[in-house]
Amino acid sequence: MKKAIAWGCLVPTRRSLIGYEAATRKVLEHLNIDTVDIPNETCCAPFWMQSLDLTTSIAMAARNLAKAEEMGLDLLTPCSGCFHSYKRVNHVLEKYPDMREKVDDILKGVGLKYEGTVEARHVVDFLYTDIGVDELQKRSTRDLSSISIGLRYGCHMLKPHELLNIEYSERPTFADELIEQFGVNSVQYAGRHRCCGGLLRGVQDDLADRVLHERLVDANEAGVDGIVTVCSLCHLQHDMGQRTIKRKFAMEDIDLPVLHFPQLLALGFGYSPEELGLNYHTVKTDKLVAKVMGGGRR
Amino acid sequence: MEQTDKRGYRGDFPVRDEDVQGTFKYEVADMVGGEGLMRCLKCGACSGGCPVGSVIDYRPRKVLGNVLLGLKDEVLSSDQIWLCAACFTCEERCVQQVNFTDVVTVLRNMASKEGHAAPGYVKMAEMVRKNGRVSARTGQVDKMREQLGLPPLQDPAVKQLEGIMQAAGLVEVIEANKKKEAEPE
Repeated sequence: MKKAIAWGCLVPTRRSLIGYEAATRKVLEHLNIDTVDIPNETCCAPFWMQSLDLTTSIAMAARNLAKAEEMGLDLLTPCSGCFHSYKRVNHVLEKYPDMREKVDDILKGVGLKYEGTVEARHVVDFLYTDIGVDELQKRSTRDLSSISIGLRYGCHMLKPHELLNIEYSERPTFADELIEQFGVNSVQYAGRHRCCGGLLRGVQDDLADRVLHERLVDANEAGVDGIVTVCSLCHLQHDMGQRTIKRKFAMEDIDLPVLHFPQLLALGFGYSPEELGLNYHTVKTDKLVAKVMGGGRR
Repeated sequence: MEQTDKRGYRGDFPVRDEDVQGTFKYEVADMVGGEGLMRCLKCGACSGGCPVGSVIDYRPRKVLGNVLLGLKDEVLSSDQIWLCAACFTCEERCVQQVNFTDVVTVLRNMASKEGHAAPGYVKMAEMVRKNGRVSARTGQVDKMREQLGLPPLQDPAVKQLEGIMQAAGLVEVIEANKKKEAEPE
């Protein structure tokens, strides 16, 4: 099976996020999925860019889709922002013929053409729907039943479900199933599906802090060993933002490591923490990793 | 009772006739993603689930109400349309498929054309224009990538991107906002 893959802007360039790329590559390799990176990938123009100009944003996102179309491949992405953006392109081009005409012209001007045939898939949904929990279980080698985590699906992989077509977002279970097969205790807690305020960062920083504060209080009260995120913005908020919140809201007792979803999968497949970039996160992951490594083999 | 021009006095209304542009809602509904606006019942399910509304006094229903009423200048020049965190919870829960987040995108596009975009987003757009990505590439991360055995970063197709941004209108929007920023208050 071969897929084009778009990594997004943040994942390959931020210290605490490159582990997301490393782990995703390992997981896909482990499952024998061939991938080819979108050549010279550019920003997918997600929601914040759509805020400035929707037409430009649709054309920008279509640029990467056109590259996948040239290769005749469907597109995988681990970034929820990219996923949301690519799904919106196909939807808008199909529903609004005037917009399609405009975007076709814009792309033609830079030597591109996009017919609208590329299906964008989120890596997590792809693993669940196309590969399946059973297949993952067959290939897992490490017992992870010693850890309790708070899994965050994030907003842009699921909402709105009419557009993204994975699962209704109020009580999703598919990503939990993918990690529960390793024995992980995925704790249900209040606020697990609430927004982290990531898209307010850099625009309304105080507000981004206050929303994040509520999320960290939620997770802290749930008594989990760590948080696992799907969305790169959720990770930046919970991991890098945790220091700020600790200071600003006097949350002295907070110490929650934040893992990327595929990092947990790769740990379950027997990869070492070092090859997954777990030492590059802002909040130290040592204690959680020690618990994982103490869990033994299956 | 003595009449007065001051707002808030008895005899005055919170919304005055001269602030209302009755056709505003049709302008919004005509844009891509804005059509749901006309279906709004003002039930408030959007406000109920709003994560920003749980930390400050921000209510999507109020924004929709202001648009439906026609308070064009107030809506487009104030902060209220830039407080949405785009979590799409309101869209998910809306019984009328108003798609508030899409309506906000329409409003933000209108405001941005007039130079009222959130400065943070304009800065991010300039970063993308320059680098092809919203984040800068650093030697430190390049080294870490190498340590993890990741392939070297490719250079984004910046020239292609510039062509798209010029033709589609984003460059104009950036410039409108830079100009506004330079104006004295």
